[in-house]
Amino acid sequence: MDAFQGLLTGFQVALSLEGIMFVLIGVIVGTLIGMMPGLGPISAIAIMIPITYGMDPAPALVMMAGVYYGAVFGGSTSSILLNAPGISGTVATAFDGYPMAQQGKAGKALAIAAISSFVGGTVSVVLLMLLAPALSSVAISFGPPAYFALMFMGLTAISSLSEGSTIKAMIAAVAGFMVVTIGIDPQTGTQRFTFGNVNLFDGFDFLIIALGLFAVAEVCMLILNRKNRSLSDDQKLGSLKLSKADLKEMSGPVSRQSFVGFLLGVLPGAGATIASFISYIFEKRIAKNPEEFGKGSIKGLAAPESSNNAATSGAFVPLLSLGIPGSGTTAVMLGAFLVLGVQPGPLLMTDRPEIFWGIIASMYLGNVFLLILNLPLIPYLAKILSIPRPLLISLVIMFSLIGVYSISFNVFDLYMLLVFGALGFAMRIFSFPAPPFILAFILGGMMEQAFRQSMTISNGSLSIFVDSPLPLSLLLIALVSLLVPAFLKWRSNRLAYKQR
Amino acid sequence: MLTSINRKLGLLIFIVAAVYLYLSFQLPNYEYAPIDADVIPKGLGILLLVLSVFLFFSRVVETDAEKAKRDIPKKELGVIAAVFAMIFVYILLFETIGFIITTTLFIFFCSWFLGYRAWKTNILVSLLFPIVMYAIFVFALGIVLPRGILPF
Repeated sequence: MDAFQGLLTGFQVALSLEGIMFVLIGVIVGTLIGMMPGLGPISAIAIMIPITYGMDPAPALVMMAGVYYGAVFGGSTSSILLNAPGISGTVATAFDGYPMAQQGKAGKALAIAAISSFVGGTVSVVLLMLLAPALSSVAISFGPPAYFALMFMGLTAISSLSEGSTIKAMIAAVAGFMVVTIGIDPQTGTQRFTFGNVNLFDGFDFLIIALGLFAVAEVCMLILNRKNRSLSDDQKLGSLKLSKADLKEMSGPVSRQSFVGFLLGVLPGAGATIASFISYIFEKRIAKNPEEFGKGSIKGLAAPESSNNAATSGAFVPLLSLGIPGSGTTAVMLGAFLVLGVQPGPLLMTDRPEIFWGIIASMYLGNVFLLILNLPLIPYLAKILSIPRPLLISLVIMFSLIGVYSISFNVFDLYMLLVFGALGFAMRIFSFPAPPFILAFILGGMMEQAFRQSMTISNGSLSIFVDSPLPLSLLLIALVSLLVPAFLKWRSNRLAYKQR
Repeated sequence: MLTSINRKLGLLIFIVAAVYLYLSFQLPNYEYAPIDADVIPKGLGILLLVLSVFLFFSRVVETDAEKAKRDIPKKELGVIAAVFAMIFVYILLFETIGFIITTTLFIFFCSWFLGYRAWKTNILVSLLFPIVMYAIFVFALGIVLPRGILPF
């Protein structure tokens, strides 16, 4: 099936009544949860997963994808209005969006964010459509050693690109991998770290980890910030209209950063947050008047907004065509696929074209819906920001508990949710990044399997990873990506230490 | 010796890694597997042990932002502990008393405890949310939530 035919199949799914409905539900829920300061796309996806039980996989995944990019789209609203980023991918949006809102141009800022996001998202879907099938057809020949090396590279990339200490990020990744070793080993049947507890035989469901480490931990942070300002009723948004000059000014950054964002989204470890920062710095460097950045510059708002949305669709390239997530959020997306019994990877395009192309086609539609939601309807949607924090906290806790209970009907899992919630909170306080943990947890099982398969093929010799060029080069990239930033950080820290 | 926070964390993680490693050496052997179930755990344990030593001896100076994150008033930690306790009680009673009643009580008291004083809205939400969720899960999605002492 060629790409054109595939896309037609995809649009058949996306434009069916069911498809349109679930895209709409997905983007609305994503926008609303993404808007809530403190609740990120991982929580949004994890909270929505139980809803998909028993659904047809194609519409369900179309909806889940909508939740993801909807959350990135919606995150900008609270960055602009409250200076409290809805998600980490929209932190850079607040740099210029919030000053604009303070100047009484909140409506204009929201409009710029919405249009930039729309263009970034749409450009990125076109690129996704071109790149994902090509990568799928290459990846079909990858053996277990190459897969192991790819996943290893993903983990090292996310660790070295994490904010703060690389050592802490690696500790988080190793800990996530350790948690997945709990349970019965699927290959030999050996019980590992179960202490004979029946509840641990199957290991931890990823939803417990995702909801605990993200939703519950984010609730703890919300409790700490519960007295922060929420949207007051008298806040005026101002006109949403953009002048021709405004559009002209944003056209440059938007067209450049859509591509930058996409590329960064495809690469493992980067994702929306890093893409938005890089794009912001990029535009500031090349701008004629960089001193305007941070004071309400249109370019400074358009750049991160087009980039973070482009990165979101870009992140679907490795997920759909390799079956390997490159970020914490796509790791949870992979979990959503697996819950529905769909294994993404090189075979997805040929075996389940309605899912592969359905998701891609639905993204065109979803971006249009989001533009409509975020332009004319934004004054009404923004009202959700005035939900009292205490009520929001109680409801998110409830969604998490129901979500976990509905996968296993086991109260033990609810206690574990509490345990991982406490762990996630502690990790946030002590600056251990959580995305490497969840990515390692999702990849851990697959990595162990790929490793053991490789070793079985080679009769127990590690040379299988260095004998063929692909795994060797991937492992070398992984090593370099880990050592170079670590070395640079170590050197700058040593300089800082000497100066004290 | 345990002056900096990284030293304390490093030591804690070292202990966790050591326990994990000890347990991985206790794993039973299975003769016919070329790579047995204990290989990856042993590797992970050693890796974590090494990383914890790195963390312990790292000279990384904590940034002010990181320090600020850690600096939480005791009272606020107490609030979080209380919310966790409420969740714990909720889980304890969830299956016996049933979803609707426990959820109503939880939402009302948790929101109240966190400072939400508009009690009319609070009662309305605490009643409507569980009923709507129950209806969606049980009747639309076919996922059974505990009925408890209620007849439906």
